[in-house]
Amino acid sequence: MTIERYCAPRTLDEALEILRAGPVSPFAGGTDLMPQSQAGRVRLAPVLMNLRRIEGMGGIAENDGVVRIGALTTMTQLMDSAVVRERLNILWQACDHFASDQLRNAGTLGGNICNASPAGDTLVPLLVLDARVELAQKPNGRIETRKLPLAEFLLGPGRTTRAPQELLSAIEIPLPAEGFYGAFFKLGTRPALDISAISIGLGALHDDGCLRSVRIAFGAVAPTAIRAARAEAELEGRLLDQDVIDAAVQAADTEIHPISDLRASGWYRREMVCNMLRRMLEDARSH
Amino acid sequence: MAELRAKTSPQGSDPARGSLIGKRIPKMDAPDKASGRTRYIHDINLPGQLHAKILRSSERHAKIVSIDTRAAKALPGVHAVITAADVPWQRPIGVAKDHLPLKTDRVRSLRDEIAAVAADSVEIAEEALGLIRVDYAPLPVLTDPVAALAPDAPRIHPAPQGADGGPSLKPGLPVAYTGKPDNVAMVMEYAQGDVAAGEAGSALVVEDVFRLHYVTHCCLGVSGVIAEFDPSGNLLLYSNTQVPFLHKREFAELLDIDPGRVRIIQPPIGGGFGSKLDIYPFEPIAIFLAKITGRPVKLVFTREEEFLASPTRQPVLLKLRSGCTKDGVLTFREVETLHDNGAYTSWGATTPFVMMQTVSSLYRVPHCRYRTRAVYTNNPYAGSFRGYGNLQATFAVEAHMDRLAEALGIDPLEFRLKNAQDPGEVTPQGMHFKTCGLKDCLRTAAERGDFLRKHAANRARWSDGDPVKRGVGMASMLHVGGGAKIYPSDGCGTILKIDDFAHVTLITGASEIGQGSETVLAQLVCEELGLPLSAVTVVNNDTDITPWDVGVHASRTTFIAGNSAIGAARKAKDKILALASSKCGDAAEALDLAEGCVVKKATGERVFELAKLIRSLHFSDKAELVMTTHYYEPPSVHQDKQFKGDVSAAYAWATQVCEVEVDTRTGIVRLVKVTGAHDVGRVLNRLGIEGQIEGGIVMGQGYALTENLMVEDGWVRNPNFRDYKLVTAPEIPEIDVSFIETMDGEGPQGAKGVGEAPAICIAAAVANAIYNATGVRLTSLPFTPERVYRALHGAAQPLEWNVPQ
Repeated sequence: MTIERYCAPRTLDEALEILRAGPVSPFAGGTDLMPQSQAGRVRLAPVLMNLRRIEGMGGIAENDGVVRIGALTTMTQLMDSAVVRERLNILWQACDHFASDQLRNAGTLGGNICNASPAGDTLVPLLVLDARVELAQKPNGRIETRKLPLAEFLLGPGRTTRAPQELLSAIEIPLPAEGFYGAFFKLGTRPALDISAISIGLGALHDDGCLRSVRIAFGAVAPTAIRAARAEAELEGRLLDQDVIDAAVQAADTEIHPISDLRASGWYRREMVCNMLRRMLEDARSH
Repeated sequence: MAELRAKTSPQGSDPARGSLIGKRIPKMDAPDKASGRTRYIHDINLPGQLHAKILRSSERHAKIVSIDTRAAKALPGVHAVITAADVPWQRPIGVAKDHLPLKTDRVRSLRDEIAAVAADSVEIAEEALGLIRVDYAPLPVLTDPVAALAPDAPRIHPAPQGADGGPSLKPGLPVAYTGKPDNVAMVMEYAQGDVAAGEAGSALVVEDVFRLHYVTHCCLGVSGVIAEFDPSGNLLLYSNTQVPFLHKREFAELLDIDPGRVRIIQPPIGGGFGSKLDIYPFEPIAIFLAKITGRPVKLVFTREEEFLASPTRQPVLLKLRSGCTKDGVLTFREVETLHDNGAYTSWGATTPFVMMQTVSSLYRVPHCRYRTRAVYTNNPYAGSFRGYGNLQATFAVEAHMDRLAEALGIDPLEFRLKNAQDPGEVTPQGMHFKTCGLKDCLRTAAERGDFLRKHAANRARWSDGDPVKRGVGMASMLHVGGGAKIYPSDGCGTILKIDDFAHVTLITGASEIGQGSETVLAQLVCEELGLPLSAVTVVNNDTDITPWDVGVHASRTTFIAGNSAIGAARKAKDKILALASSKCGDAAEALDLAEGCVVKKATGERVFELAKLIRSLHFSDKAELVMTTHYYEPPSVHQDKQFKGDVSAAYAWATQVCEVEVDTRTGIVRLVKVTGAHDVGRVLNRLGIEGQIEGGIVMGQGYALTENLMVEDGWVRNPNFRDYKLVTAPEIPEIDVSFIETMDGEGPQGAKGVGEAPAICIAAAVANAIYNATGVRLTSLPFTPERVYRALHGAAQPLEWNVPQ
């Protein structure tokens, strides 16, 4: 592997030009790409493109009930953002469990999404928040963008629907209603610097003992982070009693396909999804 | 005078005033390390230096059919590509001399070295490795140590045979190692008393099987060496070794030259923990390349290589049978272990030396039998690691102390106190405990950890509805604290010179590997000579300068090198006081050294400024310098063939109480608090010993809870810090350490060695704490969430002793 060219474009336009000429390995924090290429799991393209200097691809802005987060926003910047902490708290919680301070300073939200790890820490809360991704390319001398739900963007471990000439430019999150309850759980061998054995996101609105707009997502129990539609349906609008919790947990059990790897066995992952979803629902009830 | 002191004393305080012993003294190397100025081997680059890389096997067990290095040799920037064929004069290395640095006809594990490259850069060397073609003929793979004992198991070390039917290990020269008819690398057996009689006299007998896993040292400073030959063929090595003088001899034998022609310089070493006690193939390989290219050759591991090709802690399957009377007096212990030696024999195979001490002598047991078989497999091979088998033995022994106590209805503290050793005891194994603080350790740790109250309270909560349980557990340990007489000498030499300005250069054989020895040695010398610490420079890293030392291992440096340094300082002091006496007329015995002066012992009155006095000796008719030497050999003995004998000049003791929180829904065990009481003889540098004990506790915590080198079918599955989980800062528990000062008569200022002690008890105490929290006893390490969860929910595979006799 030889890198023939390293570039650090200043504008999205310039970056997309370079991508169109491809093949290119784009990176921002490099916290995934570096170890993966060192370990030989990823083959670097002849052109290595640093995205960090592109202007206007960072920042967090709220407009018309939609929060737009630039793809280059770091985990630390997310944690420092008032709107993330107050309105998208489940994302804030996930960032709080993300690797270490050093990696949070370097790693970006766009990078975590494009890396498409089944265990990616931000993917679970973003699925709960119904996030959409914006992809940009420049096919005919003009920048074109498309937006799609995150769930459609993720295809499998390390695989997304991003075309080689496309860049993930931003993430858009519709602001949840006031009072939206969000909880994130991550299980690892140690509390910091770990990759999830499983993770769970739960989002809902409390309504007189019932949960509404229920959204549940799981990490590290399927080829991608996933939403658990059947578990959500069991909960939606129902009084959150023990029977309903049991039914939701049973439904969740049918929606996951955990594998056995270094971090945990499939059996343990399944046990943990059930035990911890139950705990989270019980916590939500008493919240 | 006062001004002089103010200039030379650190931080405005005056450590020279009064005793330095027991004070909190920052490590001498700390400012350099903290500010990034320390020059490790990575930072050393010699003019003309080449960079070396090693090609390792891609097969676990195979015949090497052919190696094609032509393309690699042709790569521009490559200076040498070598295989075993290029160094027919290489000799077997390691504890049992059972392998060659470069493998000839056979590979036995994935770390096996097949070829090596020296090139202008690391990158070129790496690229060249990729161009070497090796053809293998795979052999049956053996990775289960139990299966290694089967009569039809593949043989890992059959008698070496070349194509011509003759020995191929080392053609034409004597072969130290001639193969094994079976896979048993080493057997160690020990017995005292009559175990059958002990069992017959037991009211209670318990038996368990324990499994201890692979962990590795994770030195931040990875393995590395620079080898250089001068035009006369003298070898200079920059090496991270812990045993420079032993290696000097070994490298000389390897090269068939006089050991006097080998010089080893140790740059500051980024951690050893026992990993750098043996010779490993990378060192001779760098030497071969330097010899062949005529250039300095540097070989430093990557982190991944460090995981794959440095030693591990010895994995052990252990069966323990223990008994006691109805009054709670231990009657017998019977241990059998199976050590997975891996492909070759390093120090790990000899850990029974230490394990049998814990079995026979941590508590009073009249009847013991101990047997270890270490077997060859195609797994990574184990070396020595802080604690040296004692973590494994203590894990089993202390589990049984709790089990027996519970079965008798006696609390764990009382049961241990009833069987604990006392000062003066000579154990059946011949260890003489001239000082022994075990009972004080037990009582102090229990009291400060509120052990008895918590132990009873936690138990009462077993069946309440709370899914989060609390538990408290204790374990004690015995370890050598006054060196260990393994080699012909367990000694250390010191050269001490005091210059015209009363500045001391302490030249010691003792190696510094981050444990803080240079600070303690300087402190002991200053204590004798009445000087501030700033008046001492320590030289400790060059075999052409420093006097002999056996090496840094067995928690020996403070004790052995400390006594050696004190001996040299006392000789210097005698000389100075004799001179002062001749000048002032007072008897030498009536004089002393304090605060940089010769003073009158009775009154403290200053008689001479030390620097002036020494200059008057130097610039006189009978010109003389103050330079002394001392060699300290501890009054310990070699064990006999039955493993009996007082192998150490002192023994260290400790008790640790661990408090845990167990989440039964996840299996996550959080270590909340460690309360330790350590018999350290005497505290010398309080700051240093606190750091050493805290570091050891965290290392023990990793062994207990998170660290696991996953070796599956011979493959290391997690050779990186992402998947090999060291303990990180947020998990470090509250630590409360008490020092039990038994003032050992032989120890320097009463101190004993403590380097290994703090890591030893944690896993055992945590296992007892998990039991106290949940009523479930775990006998396999580590206590990762899934293993604990399985045990709590009846989904764990029970351990069986299915080892053939």
